[in-house]
Amino acid sequence: MNPIVIAKNLTKSYTKGLRALDNVSLTVNQGKVLVVMGPSGSGKSTLIRTFNGLETFDRGELNVLGINIEPNHDERKIQKIRRRVGMVFQQFNLFPHLSILENITLAPVHVQKRSQIEAEDYGMYLLSQMGIDSHAKKYPSQLSGGEQQRVAIARALALKPELLLFDEPTSALDPERINEVLDAMRRLAEQGMTMIVVTHEIGFAKDVSDQVLFMDSGKVIETSTPEIFFSNAQHERSRKFLNQLDKQ
Amino acid sequence: MFNITLIILFFQNTRKTLFSNFLNTIISLIFIIVINLICFKAFGWLIHNANWKVITSNLPLYAFGSFPPAEQWRPATWIFSLLSLSIITLFGPEWKWLRKNLLIAWAGTIPLGLYLLYGGIGISPIMSRHFGGLTLSILLTTCSSLFSLPLGIILALCRQSSLPLIRKLSSIYIDVMRAVPLISVLFFGQLLIPLFMPVGIEIDRVWRAIFAFTLFVSAYIAEDIRGGLQSIPSTQIEAASSLGLNKYQIIQFILIPQALRIALPALTNQSIGLFQNTSLMAILGLVELLGVGRSILANPEFIGQYIEVYIWLACVYWFVCTIMAVLARHLEQRMKINQANF
Amino acid sequence: MKSSRKIFVQFVICMIFFSVIGILVNNLTVNLIRTGLGFNFNWLIKPASFALAEYPLPYSPSDSYAWALFIGWLNSLKVIISSLLVSTLLGTIIGFARTGKNSLLSFLSAGYITIIRQTPLLLQLMFWYFVGFLGLKDDMSIHIKDIFKISNQGIELSVFTLTSEFSALLLGLSIFTSAYIAEVIRGGILSVPRGQWEAFRSLGVSERKGLISIIIPQALPAIIPGLTSQYLNLAKNSTLAIAVGYSDIYAINDTIINQTGRAIECFMILLTSFLVLNLLISNSMEIINRIIINARKYN
Repeated sequence: MNPIVIAKNLTKSYTKGLRALDNVSLTVNQGKVLVVMGPSGSGKSTLIRTFNGLETFDRGELNVLGINIEPNHDERKIQKIRRRVGMVFQQFNLFPHLSILENITLAPVHVQKRSQIEAEDYGMYLLSQMGIDSHAKKYPSQLSGGEQQRVAIARALALKPELLLFDEPTSALDPERINEVLDAMRRLAEQGMTMIVVTHEIGFAKDVSDQVLFMDSGKVIETSTPEIFFSNAQHERSRKFLNQLDKQ
Repeated sequence: MFNITLIILFFQNTRKTLFSNFLNTIISLIFIIVINLICFKAFGWLIHNANWKVITSNLPLYAFGSFPPAEQWRPATWIFSLLSLSIITLFGPEWKWLRKNLLIAWAGTIPLGLYLLYGGIGISPIMSRHFGGLTLSILLTTCSSLFSLPLGIILALCRQSSLPLIRKLSSIYIDVMRAVPLISVLFFGQLLIPLFMPVGIEIDRVWRAIFAFTLFVSAYIAEDIRGGLQSIPSTQIEAASSLGLNKYQIIQFILIPQALRIALPALTNQSIGLFQNTSLMAILGLVELLGVGRSILANPEFIGQYIEVYIWLACVYWFVCTIMAVLARHLEQRMKINQANF
Repeated sequence: MKSSRKIFVQFVICMIFFSVIGILVNNLTVNLIRTGLGFNFNWLIKPASFALAEYPLPYSPSDSYAWALFIGWLNSLKVIISSLLVSTLLGTIIGFARTGKNSLLSFLSAGYITIIRQTPLLLQLMFWYFVGFLGLKDDMSIHIKDIFKISNQGIELSVFTLTSEFSALLLGLSIFTSAYIAEVIRGGILSVPRGQWEAFRSLGVSERKGLISIIIPQALPAIIPGLTSQYLNLAKNSTLAIAVGYSDIYAINDTIINQTGRAIECFMILLTSFLVLNLLISNSMEIINRIIINARKYN
């Protein structure tokens, strides 16, 4: 088993002693899917954003893809990790002034210095994988939310990452658009991509994940396999959270 | 039938908007009478009293200033190419290759203009003191806009820099330039630029003016672009940096293109303002459009014909400004297609 | 970036910046020595020996340059404040006419705004001066009894007289600025949500009362910053006074440079005068802003 992310006792506090992360430890192995759940403000977004250096932390140890990240990291060092880690955001964050294909080829051409033609070919391949190759010349504002999120996934894949981070990828979508994005993520998992997914989608977590991590107020409350977590959660707070999700 | 309903609709509409109540009716009536009186007087003057010879016999002067008559085809070609490019941009067909090359054509007009005016290879060289009229106004506008845009972008970026010294220096520059009147910058540009140059190097009046305009306008452009930069959501930077782009790549590929798009309306206003402000050079020794008007009015043959000259100049300025505004709106519309809902 | 690197980069930039400044200053001193001018302000106390057409405080050519500059500054202040008042009044009327229901008025004010904004201010000033005032023949004048009289000598009111230079400048600046102020006012009124109009109409409040007590108070926060920047522009534009021969601070600086050649010192004086003017305007607008905010709080 080849560990991709190893975190030990990660701690980050905002002012007034409010802790965003409180002694968080976890390990994600290659080819595995970790789903992070928890109520809003529990620190799950902060957690996965530390994995590609969008957030710093105060104490603890973090190793991503064999590279150690120090608490107050250097921007240059983090770039090595970012080239190998893809991220998908809740609000898609596509670049509005670039066409769909340009959104995807930007990083391969300028970060990995691949040729324009090669990057475009691979970009078109990714778009066809996502089922949106017909939109390649359009601009983000001309696409629906679900389509934009699939473009964002293709953009993250364009750098051929070894780890994909998803920060609530379906929360900003219309309910009827959620499945098209989840299906794309399922296919990625089947292909053996290592993924860390922050989501509230129970169905996705049950089917796809290898491990579920439940967080509340910065602490890891429970780490279990999805079978145990969804049928027989060990912690009172997990059960309460799942009950509330069911009611919605 | 159709006409009658239209007329009835018209009357209903006027009653609603012009004569809705007593006060409104009185105001409307007074204004209708006053406008009629003014129009009557003005038309009477235009037909009977106005002497348009001061315009018609001096048309080449208004257009080219004292450019040698034998060479006036050169600025004429330039103005004509600008005009036809505007028409093609606005009304031309939607062919892809044409639209792609239009931008290059627009960028090419400035070197073309400089070549045609200054001369050089193949055509006889002409001193810049012979430049004048509308040609000079357009030359000042285009060159100063071209130079002040990159300078403004750099200043805006410096003002956002994480290095306190750079931030301080550029904000002092921007604030001072925005605090002083344009005419003083132009005047001292004419006076002081030679003083700051090493002995023996001379810059002609036209380039001193372009330099001063650039220094002044870039401070305003910097503020417009800073506004654009500030309205880009920070999530765009997060997305770009999580793709592994470094700071300079983010500035080049993400921040500047988006800031320019957002600031576009403000930037076009700046260049329209710049065109109007080139008229200030009339009192600082350059014979641009307004300067030509002044020199014609000083000619004993046309003395006292202020109204005709000023109305004519106002029409020319208004016309050019309107073309610029229409072109700008056209550009904004085209940009809007690929502008996302942030 | 690490802080040591940051300091290094700043140091390098500092060095480049100061070497450029150094080269420029070096060139300047060489040129000043060549032309026989030093850099000092001693000349300020020498007699100005030029006459001024108008002076709010006593002035004669034997007074010092410094006093002449101060008179010019007061002249600037005089024309700025009076144009500020007139343009605000005019701009408010036109702005309301532009947004109002009367389509004739709205059309006329839109035309006024485009014509004024699409032509250069300098041209307008010259038009008002040469056509509006000097264009009047000696025997021509527009007057209402003895109270009000316009002739090529300016505007005469029963109590005081305005020279034709001042009047042309006042008229030109006010008309030019009013077109911009009208747009600011319009923007402010349009920034109030439509629901607010419908709300007071449905309560049976009259149009005028609703405008005064509901719409304007909500529009003011959007209007004040726009007004401030227009007033600052007005102050800067007032330097075009030189085109009509009104002796404002810039025109006097210009005269002094022509007499003494002291361009750099004069530039500094002009810069300082404008910093003071700008501070005056923006601080007074800030005070007005605060008064409005407070008034809204206690209501």
